[in-house]
Order: sequence, then structure tokens, then C-alpha cells
Amino acid sequence: MKLEGTHQLHASRERVYQSLIDPEVLKRCIPGCEQLEKSGENIYTTTIRAGVGSIKGVFKGNVKLEDMRPPEHYRIVVDGKGAPGFMKGSGDLDLEQQGETTVIKYRGEIQVGGTIASVGQRMIQGTAKLMASQFFSALEAEAKTARGEPPPRHGFFRTALRWCSGWLRKMIRR
Amino acid sequence: MIAARFDYEAPTTLDQAVALLARNPDEAKILAGGHSLIPAMKLRLAQPQLLVDISRIKDLPHIREESDQILIGAMTTHYQLESSATLKQICPLLPECASHIGDVQVRNKGTIGGSLAHSDPAADWPAAIIALGAELVAIGPSGERVIKADGFFVDLLTTALGPDEILREIRIKKPQGRFGQSYQKVHHPASGFAVVGVAVTLNLGPNGSCESAGVGITGVGSKAYRATAVETTLTGRPLDEQAIAGAALHACDGIDANSDLYASGEYRRHLAQLYARRAIQAAASQVS
Repeated sequence: MKLEGTHQLHASRERVYQSLIDPEVLKRCIPGCEQLEKSGENIYTTTIRAGVGSIKGVFKGNVKLEDMRPPEHYRIVVDGKGAPGFMKGSGDLDLEQQGETTVIKYRGEIQVGGTIASVGQRMIQGTAKLMASQFFSALEAEAKTARGEPPPRHGFFRTALRWCSGWLRKMIRR
Repeated sequence: MIAARFDYEAPTTLDQAVALLARNPDEAKILAGGHSLIPAMKLRLAQPQLLVDISRIKDLPHIREESDQILIGAMTTHYQLESSATLKQICPLLPECASHIGDVQVRNKGTIGGSLAHSDPAADWPAAIIALGAELVAIGPSGERVIKADGFFVDLLTTALGPDEILREIRIKKPQGRFGQSYQKVHHPASGFAVVGVAVTLNLGPNGSCESAGVGITGVGSKAYRATAVETTLTGRPLDEQAIAGAALHACDGIDANSDLYASGEYRRHLAQLYARRAIQAAASQVS
């Protein structure tokens, strides 16, 4: 199934791009995202509790960012599976500055299979659209709150700190 | 297919049901006719921890006339609405719409409240309820509130009902004067759901022109909607072929049409315009 759309965000293109590749921001913006962790260069593992109304399911999967050309373009490749079915797909995001705002154009192709596809086929597109619009409004809020401030730094210290805290947590769990 | 484990309660009063729901609103679900929830549970697409069965609450199924209103209880089945002699006389759109739902078994068990609260994007009732400008009465821990039909459907499977609220009753103003109503639908051949469904109510003035119109459309977008552009184009005009055809072209103004394996967005838009025209024509021909 093809998925296409445009969203206008009231924030600068650099700021929006930064937010779009920041796992912490993404984790807060993706509807139902419970976990999003780096597992390689531009590769993340994620757990998403997705659902509309009474229909809910947990999906685990991978997200890979490719062809990154800040601040105008990247390609996102996802695959995931859960009890209700599986999905895989990829999409291109293009960011365009228009005055004070940024226009995000996305187009992609997703394949959905399993129970959810066999009984809920007619609602898959609606669900995808709904989640996309929830995602972009959350992203806009994120990008807005930080307007005027420099984008958060992801330098050596923060990475080191994160690594240490992760390692510590693992030790404690043992 | 066997559902995941869940607790089951069957309260006998609405207050008990509200209290049960309030305990853990996010993990509890109201069971009405069960024609959407039970299949979803069996496929484990829905796994509520608690089912609150409201079928034992007296007076939730009812069809009553009260001064200028028709009151319909949330647990009234499609069949009860389809076969009501009163409704056939005073508001024929409701029985007509009910007759298009699923099959006999579904209509015997499925309820109008369940259908509305589930807000399936292709359900039939939302179109009729919007066209009639109904009011929906919800009850929750902080009491009752009234929600207008065209603000009730928020998005795919999402309504204005809070997770701790129960839909109690549907209130419809009795159609007055010279009126006509119709529901026209393209059935999905397998599921019986509406690929497109258009409900129309018309009121004619003394000179034969359209005084007011109500148009609700289901199946096209992610939720049923009120086609305000069609309504305003019809209002104040004589209902001739040209006016009807012109108004029907506005059936999906501003709507992002759904695509699925059976029908593309473009096809749905085409059907919506065509069936809007047929529904307006049929409603106009009913006016006495």
C-alpha cells in the first residue's frame, strides 16, 4: 500500500530535521512508542504499542535511516512484527523551508500481513494516516518548544554518559 | 480462535456499569451486541481485561416518543429499529438504514449504541444519525452530557466518548412538515459494510423549494461526516434535476477518501457523488 502526505510545521527546517533524527524526540512523538534504542549506525530497535479504539497490538521492529542529506532528505526503512501481524516498508521524507515554516513531504510503500491485514485491510490506510498526523503534530510541538534555542548537543559526553548508564543498568539487573 | 483471558461483569443498573468502568477505563470495554468487539477479541486484536455487559440493564433498549423528540436507547437492536411501526411512520430513515445492516443474525443482536460507539468508518448508523442532526447522551462518573452527532465521530474507531463514559440514548427531533428521507448504500459484497452510504433528510417549504437538508456520508473517509457543502447548495433551491446533480458533486468536499483492496479513493469519491444524487432524488420523491 502506498502512503503519501504533506505536513506543514511551524519550525525551522534545521530544527525539524534534528528532531526527526533524534531518537529521544522520536520516542516521544511516535504514537505508542515504548522503546527506541540505537543498535547500530542509524539503526534503532523499537517497541510500539499501536492501536485505534479497542484494537491494539504490540509491535517490535527495526528502524533504519538511510540516504541522509541534512537538512532536506532522508529515507526511513522499517520492519516489525507482533501478535496482530507484521509490516515492512520504506519511505522518503523531504523537508522544504517555506518562510517560517517547514513542509514535510513523505511518500512510501508499506506492506502489512498477518491477521491485521486479512481482517482489517480496509482500515490499514486510515490507521496509518491517523498515526502519521498524530506523529507530526507531536513533532511540531517538540520543534516549537525549542524554537530559538540551539538544537540539543549529542556530543561525546552525552554518548559516553548514555553508554555508562546503560551498562550500569545491565549490571544491576544481573 | 479463542479470546485472551478477561473478567466479565453484567451489572443491572447504569450506575453500576459506570462504576465498573471507572475502575480501569483504559482496560475495560463495554459489551453491547458484540458484533465488532467479540470477533476482534477472538482474533486477539482487542484484549480488554474486563468486559462490562450492559445487556441486563433494563430500559436501555427502547424506542419512545416524547413531545417533539424520538428517544432511542443505546441497546436497541437494529431489528427493533427496522421493524418499529412507529418509526416507519414518523422517521422512516431509521428503519430503512437498519434494513441495510449486515444480515438477519447481525440485526437481531447488534445494537445502534454499539455501532455508534465503535465508530467503524463503514458503519451505516453514523450517516443516518448525522443526517438527522441527532443528539447523543453519554453518562460517566460526573453525570450526563449531550454530544451533537456531527461532533461525535472524531476519527477512525474514535468518538467523543471518554474511556469512562457509556452511550446511553440517542435523541432525534421528530421530522415536521413536508419532509423526505432516504439512505442509499453500496454494500461490500463480503462484509455487508458500506463501501459508501449516504443518508439524506429534506424539508420542503410551501413553494416546493428545499427549506433545509441534512446529509451524512459513511464509508468514504476515516469517519462518517456531515456533507455541509451539499446541504448549503440544496438549501433555498427548488429540487429539480439540475440542482440535485449540482449539489451531489460536493459530496466529498475536503474529504481524504480511503483506499483499500476493494475500492480506491477515486472510486469511493465517484460512488459518493453518485449515491448522494440518488439519495437526494429518493428523499425528494418521498415528500408528500
